[in-house]
Amino acid sequence: MNQMTDLSTTDTSPMLRVTNLTHRVGLEIDTLTILQGVSLEINRGESVAIVGRSGSGKTTLLGLLAGLDTPTEGTVSLDGAQISSLSEDERARLRASRVGFVFQSFQLLPALSALENVMLPLELAGMEAPEVRAKELLERVGLGERLNHTPRQLSGGEQQRVAIARAFASDPVILFADEPTGNLDNRTGQDVSDLLMELNREQGTTLVMVTHDEHLAARCGRQLHIEAGILTEPELARERAN
Amino acid sequence: MAAKQKLMSVRRDWRERDVRVVLVALVIAVATVATIALFANQLQRTLVSSASSFLAADRQLEAENGRPVPQAWIEEARDRGLETGQMIEFSTMVLGESEFQLVSVKAVSDEYPLRGEIEIQPTADATRHMVGSGPGRGELWVNPRLLRLLELDIGDTLEVGNLELTITSLLLREPDGGFRLSSLAPRVMIHVDDVPQTGVIQDGSRAEYVYLFAGADNILDDYFQWLEPQLEPSHKWESVRDGETFSRSLERAERFLLLGGSLAVLLAAVAVAVASRQYALSQRDTVALLKTLGLSSKGIGGLYLRRLALWGIAGALGGLLVALPLFWILVRLLSDVLEQPVDFYLDPAALVPALLTALVSLFAFAYPPIRRLRHVAAMRVLRSQPGETGREAIPDIIIAIVAVFALVWLYAGEIALVVSLLGGLVLLLAVLALLGGLMVAALRRVRGGGNAWRLALVGLYRHRQASMAQMAVFAMTLMLAATLILVRTSLLDDWQSQLPDNAPNHFLINIAPDAVDEVEAFWSDRGAPLDSVYPMVRGRLTELNDQPVQEAVSKDERVGALNRELNLTWMAELPADNEIVAGAWFAQGDTEGVSVEAELAERLGLVMGDRLTFTIGSETVTEPITSIRTVQWDSMQPNFYMAFPPGGGLANMPGTWITSFHLDESNKIALNEFSRRFPTVSVLEIDHIIERIQQIVRQVTQAIEAILALILAAAFVVMAAVVSATLKDRQREGALLRTLGGQQSLLARSTMLEFAILGFFAGILGIIAAEAAVYALQARMFEGNFNWHWQVMLPIPFISALLLALFGRWQLRPVLNVSPMLLLRRLE
Ligand SMILES: Nc1ncnc2c1ncn2[C@@H]1O[C@H](COP(=O)(O)OP(=O)(O)OP(=O)(O)O)[C@@H](O)[C@H]1O
Ligand SMILES: [Mg+2]
Repeated sequence: MNQMTDLSTTDTSPMLRVTNLTHRVGLEIDTLTILQGVSLEINRGESVAIVGRSGSGKTTLLGLLAGLDTPTEGTVSLDGAQISSLSEDERARLRASRVGFVFQSFQLLPALSALENVMLPLELAGMEAPEVRAKELLERVGLGERLNHTPRQLSGGEQQRVAIARAFASDPVILFADEPTGNLDNRTGQDVSDLLMELNREQGTTLVMVTHDEHLAARCGRQLHIEAGILTEPELARERAN
Repeated sequence: MAAKQKLMSVRRDWRERDVRVVLVALVIAVATVATIALFANQLQRTLVSSASSFLAADRQLEAENGRPVPQAWIEEARDRGLETGQMIEFSTMVLGESEFQLVSVKAVSDEYPLRGEIEIQPTADATRHMVGSGPGRGELWVNPRLLRLLELDIGDTLEVGNLELTITSLLLREPDGGFRLSSLAPRVMIHVDDVPQTGVIQDGSRAEYVYLFAGADNILDDYFQWLEPQLEPSHKWESVRDGETFSRSLERAERFLLLGGSLAVLLAAVAVAVASRQYALSQRDTVALLKTLGLSSKGIGGLYLRRLALWGIAGALGGLLVALPLFWILVRLLSDVLEQPVDFYLDPAALVPALLTALVSLFAFAYPPIRRLRHVAAMRVLRSQPGETGREAIPDIIIAIVAVFALVWLYAGEIALVVSLLGGLVLLLAVLALLGGLMVAALRRVRGGGNAWRLALVGLYRHRQASMAQMAVFAMTLMLAATLILVRTSLLDDWQSQLPDNAPNHFLINIAPDAVDEVEAFWSDRGAPLDSVYPMVRGRLTELNDQPVQEAVSKDERVGALNRELNLTWMAELPADNEIVAGAWFAQGDTEGVSVEAELAERLGLVMGDRLTFTIGSETVTEPITSIRTVQWDSMQPNFYMAFPPGGGLANMPGTWITSFHLDESNKIALNEFSRRFPTVSVLEIDHIIERIQQIVRQVTQAIEAILALILAAAFVVMAAVVSATLKDRQREGALLRTLGGQQSLLARSTMLEFAILGFFAGILGIIAAEAAVYALQARMFEGNFNWHWQVMLPIPFISALLLALFGRWQLRPVLNVSPMLLLRRLE
């Protein structure tokens, strides 16, 4: 884990580099441009919040950054790999070893226990002793007593904590989160975001997070604004203006 | 357990409703096909062996020329591992207390009968029982009626030729009570080794040597191949399958079973396809997540493929676990009907089609929608993606149709069956498309409202795609079930009409022309009036278009009919069960021409207008063929190859008369009086044979009904699978409606109505398609005439409407009985 931190300090190339990203979807009659000319660099160890109104294109951008979808135009390179030119399976392999996710709706597999949900990415990445590592993480998120409970037996906040444990399980270099507190009440949301930030710091992970929660956004090192598919960075703009 | 492995465990899958449906459908498919195959096999063997006993063997070789066959033939059979036996039949006069009596002697070897048993009664008041071999040397078994005619008792002696034999038992029934003419007189049975000492059989005397063979079919066939070139025209090789009487019943029963099996396959295929598509849809979120976590599409493919394989194994094992006890029960039922224990015959080869069904069901019906899971976008984890439009499923449907018909073809081996069913299905879909279009157009106008009818109609319109799909599956299921019911009904009717309870069971042969009236009066006085009485003249077909017939007919076609005397007759009316296929029946006053039986005409290559010359005694008659007609050989009526008009070619030929009639068991005693008054008339008793055939028909009928029940169960599972497919949506909708203030009773009524409407129209479509399929099947496979079956069919739409309404209501019960709050949370 420390090694990870070392890496991020020694390797100075950006974790994520996006150039001129445009995304359009074909509707029945015409095409809709969701993202337009987005360019952006995120450095190793940075934590970035993407904020914007509903429907502005946040989720779409996150999906493209994480390689879950491919853009209409432009390139995305993640940890040195040009993901927009990789095949779907190559992107999947990249995700398995280097990317973690936290979702608004938790996305735990209902049939698996908390422990098994956390073990799943470890097994998919072919890591050794997945159970030991999964238990360690669940204890870290405070669910050491609930290992064998299925998602249905857990509260929303607990489910999200399992999801966070899962996200960090395979030692990702970058973590994507789409409104991780969106489905939780304020208090729980607070707890969950504390946990997320803490773990992120401990592991030295790069964090890219979409959120409506201003407090949470403020805790990130950097905020990006998106409006109608166009990305702006207030501080950068202010700096430039200055 | 590792998480990834757990993802694939069948036990976990079982908790998923769609997987349960797939598994149940698989189990039913495997169970039905396996049961049918096992039972068909068993039935075949039991029937054949029960029918074999009509020959007292699997095969008989008859020498009609009065000479034994070379001993080498029999030794060859034994060398090949066949069981053999021998009998000699001849007629002779015996002297009783006061008068001579013509008897027909059957002398049997120790091995007789190779198949079946003999029913005897050792003393007048002992119970009847079955024995496995004939009389020993020095013994004689005798027909009870003959014993009375001779005024003798058990224990007395009777001289057959020069040999004195002791009467040791009454002979009640012999397994091979055939129609041989030599056996017209009352029967006595002796041991074959006693025959030489009787001195009755000398060169030139009429005796028939009959050899019995039993063993495995392939050995028998090989043996016949070896034997055939050496046979003379007077040698006749007989197998059960050739016996006109049973072959038709057996064949139809077999076809019915095949049809049933094929329909089971079709039904299961539909259920598997519907459920697995539903399953695939529900798995998309999981797949998207797995992809997000880094599983490649190949990995996804492998995961689900392994899961399918597990289902396959579970389905096959489950199916066999159901099939074997079911088979056991069916065999027990069979032995009840037969009133004799039946040996289990479990042929492992019969399980192959069942396992193949599981394999094909999985890979042709379940796999295609699941295969497409690999293409689910990972992006789905972030935002739900546009769902399937149904267009992606078109290749699946094509694969499924091709596979299912390949399977049915493979299984039933009948292209006619495949074509009929496919035709019925295509018709069904065409009518459905038409009707559906009209219905959707009409439903569009309906406005919602607080009325259950309106709500139901709006519901149908709102789910029009699902409704149409459900209707298609319901209609198809009903069509298949209706087809089976129809075929079963007409099959049973046909058997019933073929052998009614009062079917003729006695023949009177050799009635002198001047005694006909007296004989008729005798029997009508005793409440057993004769059926038609026909003249019978024995003659040989000698010339065809003025050429000797042996030259005119190609060598292969020199059928037995040319080597022996044919029964010729004259009659004014065409018998009811005959049918003219070419030419016309004799008009009133016609004296020219002859009517020929169709199969013989075909074998000899006879056509209308050919001139046939018959030699009758020293006379010849030449007549042109004026009609060709079919004959029902199994009608138990006198049947004739050649029929002349009254006053025609046979007018002045010497002949006797023949008739058949029904005589009740209780009336049989009258036969003694008859024999005394008309000693020259031969009585042929076939009541035991008829009883046997009726018994066989009964047992086949039972089997058919059992299999029908199985298939209807399969049909029900299909319906359940289809209804469950939209269950979640419906429950969610119902919960929402109730949250918004809809009343429980309104919701219940509108749902029931919606399903009832679906069921009703599906029923109508189903019966239309079934009639079409049966029309085709009947003509090609069951040789029956097609009739409409409104009495059978009419209830089907109503029954299906009712069942579906109840089923829909039942499926909705969680929505109806629970508080809306709880519901919404549970359905999340
Ligand atoms: N495949 C698609 N087809 C059509 N429209 C799409 C598609 N994907 C996204 N959109 C549209 O693009 C816009 C941006 O969507 P996106 O989900 O990225 O918004 P968002 O910023 O995440 O909103 P929210 O805060 O509500 O989650 C929306 O108007 C959405 O309807
Ligand atoms: Mg969003």
